[in-house]
Amino acid sequence: MSASPDTALFGEESTEAHPGIEPSVSSDASENDIERCSHITSVFADPSAKAGIIDKFKTVVAWYARRTHDSLHPAKRRKVSSPTCDTCNQTLSRPFVCLHCSFAGCWSDGHITNHLKETGHTFCTDAKSGSVFCSECEDFVFDDTIDELYLSTVISVEEQRTKFQVAKRGREPYQPWIPTGDESTTLKYIPTVPCQGRRGLLNLGQTCFLNVILQSFIHNPLLRNYFLSDRHNSRLCKHSDCTCCEMDNLFTEIYSPTNTPFGPTSFLATTWKVSAEMSGYAQQDAHEFFITALNQIHGTSRGNTNISCNCIIHQTFAGQFQSDVTCEKCGTVTSTIDPMLDISLELRSKSGETATDNTLASCLRRYTKPEKLGAREYSCSKCTKASHEAVKRLSIRTLPPVLSFQFKRFEHKTSGKAAPQKIDAPIRIPVSINMAPYTTLAMNATGKDGEAGYPGPDAMYEYDLFAVINHEGQMDNGHYTNFARFQDEWYRFDDEKVTPSTLSDCLASNAYMCFYVKRHLDYKPYMKPTYLVARENDIVREQAMEREKEAARMKEVDDALMAMVGGD
Amino acid sequence: MSKSTSEAETLYVEVHRRMIESGEWDRILHQLSSKLSESGWTDDLLHRAKENSRSMDPLSLQTILQELLSHAQTSVPLSVKREITTLIKQFVKEQFEK
Repeated sequence: MSASPDTALFGEESTEAHPGIEPSVSSDASENDIERCSHITSVFADPSAKAGIIDKFKTVVAWYARRTHDSLHPAKRRKVSSPTCDTCNQTLSRPFVCLHCSFAGCWSDGHITNHLKETGHTFCTDAKSGSVFCSECEDFVFDDTIDELYLSTVISVEEQRTKFQVAKRGREPYQPWIPTGDESTTLKYIPTVPCQGRRGLLNLGQTCFLNVILQSFIHNPLLRNYFLSDRHNSRLCKHSDCTCCEMDNLFTEIYSPTNTPFGPTSFLATTWKVSAEMSGYAQQDAHEFFITALNQIHGTSRGNTNISCNCIIHQTFAGQFQSDVTCEKCGTVTSTIDPMLDISLELRSKSGETATDNTLASCLRRYTKPEKLGAREYSCSKCTKASHEAVKRLSIRTLPPVLSFQFKRFEHKTSGKAAPQKIDAPIRIPVSINMAPYTTLAMNATGKDGEAGYPGPDAMYEYDLFAVINHEGQMDNGHYTNFARFQDEWYRFDDEKVTPSTLSDCLASNAYMCFYVKRHLDYKPYMKPTYLVARENDIVREQAMEREKEAARMKEVDDALMAMVGGD
Repeated sequence: MSKSTSEAETLYVEVHRRMIESGEWDRILHQLSSKLSESGWTDDLLHRAKENSRSMDPLSLQTILQELLSHAQTSVPLSVKREITTLIKQFVKEQFEK
C-alpha cells in the first residue's frame, strides 16, 4: 500500500528536500534486534510498502521543519501552513500524521489513534519529533532506519536555510561515509573495539586536576573521534615530548578492553617537561592545566599555524569574541575581534554581590550586557574631543563546536587581606542551551518588538552538556571530581572510581567547569591539508628529477657507444 | 449556561487558529521552552522520566506520560506562567482590536 505525498496539505515546495541520502549500511543491524517492532519489520520487508512509508515520513518531517523555521525566522510576514484535524477540525498545533493516508489529527484527544484503529492503518508519526507510533504495539517504536531518516531530513532542511554571514556559497551538505567495496571487505575482518571510555584514572599525587581534564578530553566527541581514527599515530611521530602522542596513547589505553584504572604517568611527565610552571606535586588549578594542555596539543599538531590554525584543538574549541564600543557622543562603533578557546564567567556582578538565582544563561547575559566605560577609559577616534563616555558590549561572533565554560570561583582579593576566597555560590546549568541570544548576529538583529530576526536555523545554536568538573573544599586543599555522559547515561569519576550516576546528581553538583557540544555540526568542503599538498608536490618533483637523471645516464651510454663505433 | 460555554469555545478555536496561522504560537512556544529550560523544569522532567523508565515493565510512553503529567503541570514556575500568560493576553488583545 503506497501513499502519495499530499501536496495540498504539505505545500508546493519540493518534497525532494534532500539530495537522496540513503540510509547507510548500519541500519540493517536493527533487523536482528528482537526488540524491534515486528510490524515495522514486516512492512519494511516489502520494498514498495517500505518506500511508501519512508516517502511519507520524509515529506511530513521536512514540511514541519521548514514550517517551524519559517515562523521563528520569518523572511517576510506570511501565513504559516496550518492543517486542521480531520476529526474535530481544530487547527493542529502538534500534528500527528498517518503514514498510510492523508489523515492528520490530534494526539491528546485520541483522534489519530482512533483513525488508525478504524482504518486498520498501522503507523502514524509526530511531525515535530519524527516519533513513530504503532497501533498494533500501542506504543511508540524505535527503528534505526527511521531515526537516521529523521536526522538526515532535518539536517538537509537546515542546510538549505542557513545563510552565511561572509562567504556567498551555500552550506556544504552533509555526506555520510559509505564504505567502498574494498573498505567493506577490510571492515569484515577487523576486530571491533568497544567504543566506551569508562575507565578510572589513578591519582599520582595531587593530580586530580589532571584527571578531570583528561576525562573531559576522553568524553569529548570531536577529540575522541580524531584520536581514535589514528590522526596522530604516536608510533610514526618523530618528535619527543609530544603531547599529541600522549593524547594518542591515552585514547589507546582508555578504549582498550582493560577496565582497571590507568595511571597517566607519561602524560604528566611530558606536561612537566614542556610547561615548567605546571611541574611539582602541588595542587594545580584544573582550568590552568586545561589551557596549558590545549596549547601543548596545538603546538605539537601536524600543520599547526599561528593564525587561522586548523589543528584539532582549534577546530574543536576555537571561537571568536566581538567587542563593540559605541561612542556616546558621535555614535561611532569600533569593533574588535578576539580569538577564544573557552569562556570564563563571573559569578558576581560589578558591585560585588552574588546573584541569588544564578544560571548559565544569567551569567551569559551578564557577560554580554552593555557596560559603560568611564570617561577616562576611552577616547573616540572620530570625535575631536578626547575622553567621552562610551558603551562597550561583548558578544560571541563565532561559536566553536565545543563550548567550554569556567565559572570564576577562585577570586584573588586585591585588598591584600585574607587568602583568596572560593565562591561556592550554586549555579544551575541546563542539559541543553541555545546560544543564539549571546551571538553578535542575533544581538544586532534583535529590534522591533524584541523579535529575534537572526536567520537561524536554531539547531546551529543548540548545545548539549557532556561533561562537568567539580571542585570541593578550599582553594589550597580541595579535590576535583567530574561527571561525564556516555551516550545517554551519566557517570561520576573520582580519580580511579567510576560510578553510574544520574542527570540530576550531575546538575546539582555545582559546576566549576562544564562542556557543551554542538548538536548539529556544519562542514567546510573537503580541502587537502597544505602539508599533504606540499609533500605530493615534492614526490612529483623527485620523480621528475629521477627521470631526468635516468635520461642523462642513457644519453651518456649512447654517446659512449657512438664514440666506440665512430672510432673504428 | 451552555450558550456562553459554546461561545467561549468558538472564541477559543478562532484565537487558537489565528495564533497558529500567524506563527505566534511557535514564537511563544519557543520562548516558553527556553524559560522552562533555564528554570530547570525540562531537565527535572527528563531525569524523572529516565529514572521511572529504568524499572518500568512493560515500558510504554503512555505510562511515562501518565506518571509525569500532573507533576509537570504543577511544577511550572510561577514567574514563567506569568510571563507567558502576559504574551498570550497581549496577542488576544491585539486580535480583538483588529
